Amino acid sequence: MTTTVRTAPLAGADPFVPRHVGPNETEVAEMLERLGYRSLDDLIDATIPAAIRLRRPLAIHSGRSEHEALETLRGIARKNRIFRSYLGYGYHDTLTPPVIQRNVLESPGWYTAYTPYQAEIAQGRLEALLNFQTMVMDLTGLEIANASLLDESTAAAEAMFLAYQVKGSDSRNVFFVDARCHPQTIDVVKTRAHARGIDVTTGDATSATFGDTTFGVLLQYPTTDGAVVDYRDVSTSAHDAGALVVAAADLMSLVLIAPPGEWGADVCVGNTQRFGVPLGYGGPHAAFFATKDEFKRMLPGRIIGVSRDSHGRPALRMALQTREQHIRREKATSNVCTAQVLLAVIASMYAVWHGPVGLTTIARRIHRRAATLAAGLEQLGHGISSDVYFDTLCVELGGTLTANLVIGAAAKAGINLRHAGERSVIVALDETVTDDDVQALLSVFAAGQPAPETTGLTDDLDDRFDASLRDGDAALSAHARVARPVADALDDSAGKLHDEAERDRRDDPGDVARVRTNSSVRAGGADAGISGAVRQPRVRAGRNYGLRRGVAAAERRVAG
Amino acid sequence: MSLQPNAGSQGEYAGLLTISAYHQARGESNRIVCLIPQSAHGTNPASAAMAGMQVVVTKTDAKGNIDVADLRAKAEQHKDRLAALMVTYPSTHGVFEESIREICDIVHEHGGQVYMDGANMNAMVGLCRPGDIGADVCHLNLHKTFCIPHGGGGPGMGPIGVAKQLAPFLPGNPVVRTGGSQATGAVSAAPWGSASILPISMMYIDMMGGEGLTYATKIAILSANYVAARLEEHYPVLYKGANGRIAHECIVDPRALKASAGIEVEDITKRLMDYGFHAPTVSFPVAGTLMIEPTESEPKAELDRFCDALIAIREEVRAIEKGTMDREDNPLKHAPHTMHAVVSDAWAHAYSRELAAFPTEDTRQRKFWPSVGRVESAYGDRHLVCSCLPTDAYVEQ
Repeated sequence: MTTTVRTAPLAGADPFVPRHVGPNETEVAEMLERLGYRSLDDLIDATIPAAIRLRRPLAIHSGRSEHEALETLRGIARKNRIFRSYLGYGYHDTLTPPVIQRNVLESPGWYTAYTPYQAEIAQGRLEALLNFQTMVMDLTGLEIANASLLDESTAAAEAMFLAYQVKGSDSRNVFFVDARCHPQTIDVVKTRAHARGIDVTTGDATSATFGDTTFGVLLQYPTTDGAVVDYRDVSTSAHDAGALVVAAADLMSLVLIAPPGEWGADVCVGNTQRFGVPLGYGGPHAAFFATKDEFKRMLPGRIIGVSRDSHGRPALRMALQTREQHIRREKATSNVCTAQVLLAVIASMYAVWHGPVGLTTIARRIHRRAATLAAGLEQLGHGISSDVYFDTLCVELGGTLTANLVIGAAAKAGINLRHAGERSVIVALDETVTDDDVQALLSVFAAGQPAPETTGLTDDLDDRFDASLRDGDAALSAHARVARPVADALDDSAGKLHDEAERDRRDDPGDVARVRTNSSVRAGGADAGISGAVRQPRVRAGRNYGLRRGVAAAERRVAG
Repeated sequence: MSLQPNAGSQGEYAGLLTISAYHQARGESNRIVCLIPQSAHGTNPASAAMAGMQVVVTKTDAKGNIDVADLRAKAEQHKDRLAALMVTYPSTHGVFEESIREICDIVHEHGGQVYMDGANMNAMVGLCRPGDIGADVCHLNLHKTFCIPHGGGGPGMGPIGVAKQLAPFLPGNPVVRTGGSQATGAVSAAPWGSASILPISMMYIDMMGGEGLTYATKIAILSANYVAARLEEHYPVLYKGANGRIAHECIVDPRALKASAGIEVEDITKRLMDYGFHAPTVSFPVAGTLMIEPTESEPKAELDRFCDALIAIREEVRAIEKGTMDREDNPLKHAPHTMHAVVSDAWAHAYSRELAAFPTEDTRQRKFWPSVGRVESAYGDRHLVCSCLPTDAYVEQ
């Protein structure tokens, strides 16, 4: 005999509803009285037309306590199998500095705030975003940048529309997309283009001839299979044909390689995920969009600018707001509204935290691991499809190995590799990769043969990447060596971010934003110990830009 | 559902693409007209244009509701080319329009699909459902309704839910298979948008439960009506439903104060900072007004404190109207007041420092100081600088 025990729904030990809902029962009664209703349901009946009311409860269980809900979530998470990802596609694992995790990502002062429409009480956040723009301008070599977009692919589509606005017409209606762009970017761009009646041609930009119907060219830099291509000739021929050049670039690689603005790109887009933002199964992270000064009025998204306050002092606010779709409506070419502010702040703080020297060290370390891996792969009889790369290798498999065999062996070792062809595999590294990881990768590619030891590979390495820029392409290297003025300064060499962020800030959470800064994102050569191939921007002395107080407690009170 | 769109605006674009693909699959690729009411948010027409649709604007009546006769006429006029209607519900004016069912029926009768902008879903959860009302697509702003924190302006998410006939056309991804059987192209880089923030909404729904979610909606409506009732004795409150009730937001109209006291909405928003508040939405959906959406999560004491501030500001304006306060040299025109301005030996205003910085007892206990004085936007647009300034720009003169 079965006994069914019926119990009243157990109220969780710590019910969440009264924590979330502001007014308590007494207050609800007072508010209803003020409005002249006897019950909440009377008010709702008077507000919502009877014809559309849902006359039954939602088919969702009753509320659980936070503890119970977290257990459910953990149960789901336990079903995941965590693989080491070398897939690339513009996504790279990263080390989120714990100081940023604690004081930005997990700080309500940063994560709960509203869009900074009221500039006077949002100066800290606006300043972090100005840092983001400065960082992007500095690394891309372009003159103006916005305060983030949703992702790299949609940013590339926005760039296509900018190019169309500048150069396009009914007869000049073709957007050329290099076939070595990330596949998801090609797809997003094609979808957007198709809806607007723009033709997309894909092919090899380095050998293509652009006709008078092409208004723009999109290039991936480095390419999706890792090659650092010298695009100067492509850029010249695109310009000669009357088209704009858009680069979709990897921000970390730009710490070391020639910035797109210097080889002729009119627009540079990309994502900043690998600047401290966890992969997150695809998002969120902040994309960037930089262009030349002459196109500033067509820049999509929000732009932070410096103005002055009523006392004549510098003050920040969102600039050029009349460009937004609220004004232009159906004439707008972009519907961008929400940005990725929290993630842009994290990326900008990552740059501030590491400073130019730290970023250069990270980029060089990543590249050195890639060079180590390449040397080992070559010893195993595999080929690397490009001589010049940053952190991503396209491996041409030697012997009888096939991509499926290698990818299968990798999966057994808990590693994700990317299929690039029947006999080629892409491996994209990142700042978390250790020598042991490289060793594990070599074991996969050794396919049962003894794998070379990484320790033996680094001795004669001499940074193949730097060497290739120096010797393999003298022109690019000479070009890269030209000193250029850099934008301002994002260096936390004094550790101020840490001091300020960690200090007790009961009185003013805005202090978390205060940072003193000294030199540029991109390091001066000698200080950073970089070889002559790496650009040596002119370092201005005495920069000292304090992030002022800003994240307003008041903002969190009654914001729409 | 498609989780791919990373913002409400991307949901609009994705939803309209899905509608276009549906019409094309039925051999009706001539259906490209998108009806959009005058009162719609600016992203609606921008998204329609992005999706390759032709926008036809329909009228809004004096009460802020969709003019059903005009909508019917325009649907009739474009019946062979009608693709969709974009409608926000409850309306951008914060009202549950009685005619919504009829409006959806008219669009369906003329071969169109209904896109419902879910920006105001906070007023509907558990009480009515877009699908029952007649919507074929609806996006959800997870950062508005399902508790993803605003982040200072992102991350957000705008996943779309669609009716059965549109499901085959939900967006795909070239790397990871997702979306419908005849998927449109990708609308975002990642197959499931901003996947890592979805657990926030999941946790919220799990902890609230069906009953709690419905209760929250009711309290959001109660709070908005309470704020409206307290303020309407001091400022006109625009747009109400059939029984004088609003949904989850109210529009307060200070436009008359310009003639009577030279005070504009901007002066009020800046003065609110001195009182310790961030202004609500300004100039949307009606230029020169404030739209207040208190939500369910503020206790009554906080709502009262906010209403008290707006009422006190109205009294300051009354002093200007009566001539007891100067039309130019008053705490509204010079708001917000920084600590530097208030402690300066050079204080030369006709009103007291105390009124400037501590207008209420509450501000004496919990003062938040704006870090700069009122920002001149036009100056910055004329002298555009979008990167960090050198240090010497900050040297005090």
